[in-house]
Parts: sequence; C-alpha cells; structure tokens
Amino acid sequence: MKKISSEDVSNEVHRFWAILSGNLQVKLEEMYSPTAIVFTGKAKRSESAKLMAVRRSRHLPGSALSSRAEVGSIDVQIVGLDVAIAAYTYSFNTKKILADGGKVQINTSFGRATQIFQRGEDGVLRIVHEHLSAAAPPATEKTGE
Amino acid sequence: MSNISSDDVRAEVKKFWDFLSRKLKSQFAEMYLSSASVFAADARRMEPARLMLVRRDRELLGPASFVATKLGSIDVQALGADLAIASYPFHLSITRTRASGKRYQSEVPHGRATQVFQRDEKGVLRIVHEHMSSAEPVSTKELPPTDPPKQV
Repeated sequence: MKKISSEDVSNEVHRFWAILSGNLQVKLEEMYSPTAIVFTGKAKRSESAKLMAVRRSRHLPGSALSSRAEVGSIDVQIVGLDVAIAAYTYSFNTKKILADGGKVQINTSFGRATQIFQRGEDGVLRIVHEHLSAAAPPATEKTGE
Repeated sequence: MSNISSDDVRAEVKKFWDFLSRKLKSQFAEMYLSSASVFAADARRMEPARLMLVRRDRELLGPASFVATKLGSIDVQALGADLAIASYPFHLSITRTRASGKRYQSEVPHGRATQVFQRDEKGVLRIVHEHMSSAEPVSTKELPPTDPPKQV
C-alpha cells in the first residue's frame, strides 16, 4: 500500500474545506470512515461522523449563500504506514438561513482542527476522528441581504 | 501484533488525570512523546507538548494550584497494534497560579478531549497528539490572595 505523505493529507484537508464552503460538489460523508467519531464546534459530546455529515450537508451553502474558509499552516504527523494526524488553525465565515427566513453571518476567527486520516483498503484517505473547536466564540450578526 | 485494547487506553487516560491532580510532575511529563503536539483548551495555536508542560508545571502543579476532574465515557478507536484514539467529555475545576502570583479559579463543565496514544519503542503507550477544548465559554474568577485552593 502507498505510504501516506504530508502532501496527500494537506490535499484532503483542503478538499474538506472546499466541500464545507460549497466550492466542491462532493458528499461530505465520503470524507469520513463509516466508524468515524467527531467533536464538532459546540457539541458537548462526540458523535458519529455519519450523523454529523448528514446534518452538516443540510446546511452546506448553496449558490445564494457564500462561505469562505482560510486554513493556516497544516502540521502533519505521520504515525504509521496508513495513519496521519493533521492539526491546524482555520477561520470560517458562513451564512445561515434562520427559521423566520432571515440570514445570520457566523464568523469563526480562531478555529482549531485535529483530523486523523487513515488509508482504507481501497487506498482512499478518510477521516477516522475529528475535533473542531474555537479559541474564542464565533461572532454572529444578522444580515439584511 | 494485536490491536491496543480499549481497557489499556482507558487506564492511560485515568492515569493522565490522576498524575495531573496529584501534581506528579515527572510522571505527568512522561505521558507525552518528545514529538507530541497539543492544542490546549485556551490556546489559539498548537504547540509542542514540551512547551505546554513548562506552562502547566508553573500554573497547575505548584503548591497553590488545584486540579479536579470528572471524566465522562471514554470512546476508544484502535488503529492497529501501536496507535489508538481516546475521546471523552470531562468536567474540570482548576485553580491556577499565573507568573504574576495571582490565582484564578476556572470551571470547565463541558470539556472535550481527544488524545492519540502511540506505543513507544519500549511498548509504553504515550500521547503523540492532544486536543482539549470547551463546548462553552469558560468562567474564570480571580481569587483573593489568602483563599486556599477550592476543594471539590
């Protein structure tokens, strides 16, 4: 099996954020191993990545809502033939549609991410564990657009 | 070689918090591989574990500091013979002493931890990466100089 490289992992991280920003039309759940566990931004407990990906996909920005992610320097630790840990900071600005039809802008300025990738038997790198958090609460504001 | 057992990993997590709360500095430091990286709960950036250990030593392991934790259920994902991920919620109460000598008491009711353990060359499980965070903003208050550490 091909050994994991830092470049492979960095590419997957950028693909993840491209999907989350609505710039790549790939199903988010395809990024995750079926048994993956995640800590999302504000969740008090970890949960199955499958559940989280379905929920997150519902809120992925369409063409009417712009999102922008900026990923900092990605630190990759190769910890075995088929496993690597990616750790990095990020900022993420997105809009959400509220139940009343209004829109809210959410800016996460000090995001921190740990994503652990494992190469499957099919040779594809998938996330087996993810921990996203923020060093400061995201700023939210209603937008009139 | 067989996968790391969940029980072994859970025992290491409990040792980690036990060493921290009992202020066993050298045992606590030995939990980390020299190459380990850490996202501390209140840090904006990742740092090498050796730097974090210097700060935790100064702020949390001194005589006027205090650490108490209640751990939630620990999920373990074994990734082969040498690697496993532990993830769990925790409730943390800490009294830390800053470099200025001032003491601060913080409650972290909804802490979240990811710790990646790897076997070293001697077969000992040690942390190669750690990500601590809080699901809610942490409440911190300054303690008067004479207050003893709060017991939980």
